[in-house]
Amino acid sequence: MSIVLEHVNHIYESGTAMEFPALTDINLVIPDGQFIGLIGHTGSGKSTLVQHLNGLLKPTGGKIYYNGSDINADGYNKKELRSKVGLVFQYPEHQLFEIDVFTDVCFGPRNLGLDKKEVELRAYAALKQVGLSDEYFYQSPFDLSGGQKRRVAIAGVLAMKPEVLILDEPTAGLDPKGRDEILDQIAKLREETGMTVILVSHSMEDVAKYVDRIIVMNKSRVLYDDEPKKVFSHYKELEAVGLAAPQITYIMQALKEKGLPVDTEITSVAEARTAILNALADKSRSR
Amino acid sequence: MAIIETKDLVFEYIRRDEEGNVEGITRAVDDVSLSVKQGDFVAVLGHNGSGKSTLAKHINAILYPTEGTVWVDGMNTSDEDKLWDIRQEAGMVFQNPDNQIIGQVVEEDVGFGPENLGVPTKEIWERVEESLKAVGMYEFRKHSPNKLSGGQKQRVSIAGVIAMHPKCIVLDEPTAMLDPNGRKEVIRAVRALNDVEGITIILITHYMEEIIHANKVFVMDSGKVVMEGTPREIFSQVEKLKSLRLDVPQVTLLAHELRKSGLDVPEGILTTDELIKALGL
Repeated sequence: MSIVLEHVNHIYESGTAMEFPALTDINLVIPDGQFIGLIGHTGSGKSTLVQHLNGLLKPTGGKIYYNGSDINADGYNKKELRSKVGLVFQYPEHQLFEIDVFTDVCFGPRNLGLDKKEVELRAYAALKQVGLSDEYFYQSPFDLSGGQKRRVAIAGVLAMKPEVLILDEPTAGLDPKGRDEILDQIAKLREETGMTVILVSHSMEDVAKYVDRIIVMNKSRVLYDDEPKKVFSHYKELEAVGLAAPQITYIMQALKEKGLPVDTEITSVAEARTAILNALADKSRSR
Repeated sequence: MAIIETKDLVFEYIRRDEEGNVEGITRAVDDVSLSVKQGDFVAVLGHNGSGKSTLAKHINAILYPTEGTVWVDGMNTSDEDKLWDIRQEAGMVFQNPDNQIIGQVVEEDVGFGPENLGVPTKEIWERVEESLKAVGMYEFRKHSPNKLSGGQKQRVSIAGVIAMHPKCIVLDEPTAMLDPNGRKEVIRAVRALNDVEGITIILITHYMEEIIHANKVFVMDSGKVVMEGTPREIFSQVEKLKSLRLDVPQVTLLAHELRKSGLDVPEGILTTDELIKALGL
């Protein structure tokens, strides 16, 4: 079971003077349960790509298969697809609208036509999954802090019980602790439920910390598709397309240039600490 | 002289129900007294809901104090007669560039501010040119803002503020929505304004590595200023920052971890070069 993209193209305003290719010949296989980071500069096609995965946009060429079925074939049940592939937009808290938090989270499952009891059970479970405590359930969502609102919005999608969860910059504008909390929760959720997670992010540090695979978009095409360490080893090429490696990768690079024999594919502070301590110990032994 | 000064500043958001009865009061800024000198580059840190943005909105009189006083270049922000002077002297740049750009062409957008101030046409064009040059966007002056990247749009927003010839610019998370390149471009432009033009900068951000060039940092929590110092003084206190839901740049954290492991590395390392030196490489 998986998502497969075959030669997917998407051209905005095709046939006009404004014609703009947003996706060009995208071929990807996204197996169940993977944690994927999708990175690329503004306008590289990331958002257009994720909107194809739940059928919000139709490709202008190529095919997309979800669990083996062509999602753009006649008669394909898109409503069901959208409950299976949940998309959390950027600044999802702008889409909160109900009078209280609990009712807001109920909106999605209720639209699936589930009975009241099931809707409420799901809403309750989803709010627990994002770590929101009971005291907030009957407050207006507009009285919550930025981080809390965002949790409510994510819970609204989780209540649909998606098999694939796509998050478009879920931590933009959150404080560092809020960033860690939300991403930790998503990582935990994925471990517990085995769902596929696609994280669109501008934070290389976050991507390096959580995902098992990175897809880099540049000018409507896939530039790299590999494990994080491999992708970040191309840091010079990444800079050329408006991205970067995590700060720690640059630090290791600089240390190596100064003669400390450390691994330059390191992407976390904890790894860096161990590597530096080992390298310094080796150095003093060989003296 | 202080360009911005607050004394015992308190601001309360009052929530009302449908009949207008008070439902609750949230004290967003709680007894803040601070002073910013002309030409300073000040950074304000603090978790979501700590009162940073509420404080910032007092600096160009979008909000007025519930108690206490705010002066901008000697003018009391509660003095209605001074409102337009204050807003011209203290410009503000917000998070989302798409909410701040109104012109169909970059140069028109930048000219909007001075036009509203009643600046003569010839001078408007001079200001537009110098402002766009200051942020490195002059070559895009004839472009449509819609076609620019996030970092470029944000620099146009900044140019629009500079064109009003402010003494001070408040930037409220100007890079939160940008990709790494966009963030770099904006921070570079902001630093240049401070260095070259001497404009006072107040930068609110959640990206710790953006503030290492500031000469003063205020950290807010529950509406109060709880830490104040140079970036090095602030980032020397890794554990305290973490307890305030904040962070330090990765290089500072790495140095801190190495120190905990017994290496002779000082706290408050801000750059890779400093770390290299501290390790004796």
